[in-house]
Amino acid sequence: MNGWLMAAYAVGACLAPCAFVCLHGRPEWRLVGFEMSGAIVAVLLSLLVGGTSRLVFMDLPLTLAILNLGGGLVFARFLEKHL
Amino acid sequence: MIAMVEDALLAAIAVSCWIGCIGMLRMRDPNQALHYLSFPAAVAAVLLPFAFLCLSGWSLATLKATLIALFLLASNAVVTHATARAFRVRAIGHWEPRKGDAVEFVREKRPQ
Repeated sequence: MNGWLMAAYAVGACLAPCAFVCLHGRPEWRLVGFEMSGAIVAVLLSLLVGGTSRLVFMDLPLTLAILNLGGGLVFARFLEKHL
Repeated sequence: MIAMVEDALLAAIAVSCWIGCIGMLRMRDPNQALHYLSFPAAVAAVLLPFAFLCLSGWSLATLKATLIALFLLASNAVVTHATARAFRVRAIGHWEPRKGDAVEFVREKRPQ
C-alpha cells in the first residue's frame, strides 16, 4: 500500500460523517452533507487514480467535479421552493 | 526529497478533508456548516495538482488535476452562495432585504 492509497482510505472515511448528516435532520442539513460528500468524492477518486497508477481514469473525478456544480444547484433550487 | 513532499501533500489533503467534516458536524446551523465546504473543495483540491506533479511530473494527469481544482474552486463558491440563498428564501420567503426583516447581527453599544 502506498501513500496515495492510505490518503484515499483516510479521505474515504470522511464519507461516514457526510452520510450521517445526509441521513439525519432537516433538509438543509442534508443538502450541506450532500455537497460536502460531492467535493470529498472528487478528491477521493483523484487519490485512487494516483494510488493505482491508472492515470487515464482522471476523467472520472474531472467529470464529477463538473457535474457536482449542476447537482448542487438543482437541489438548492428545489429546496428553496418545493421541498 | 520529492517523495517526502508528496507524502506531506497527501497528508495535508486528508487532514483538510477531515477538518471540513468535523467542522460541519460541530456547527449549530446549516449556514455555518456551509463554510466548511471550502476545506475539501478549496484546500484539498488545490493541493492535489502539486501531489500529481510530484508523482508524474508535467503530465496529462497533472493538467486534469489542475482542471479539477479550478472547477471545484469555482463551483464551490457558486453552490455555497446558491445554497445559502435557498436557505434564506425557504426561511423568510424572499431574498432581498426588506423593511421589518429580523436583523441577524446587532452591534451592542459600548457602556458609557
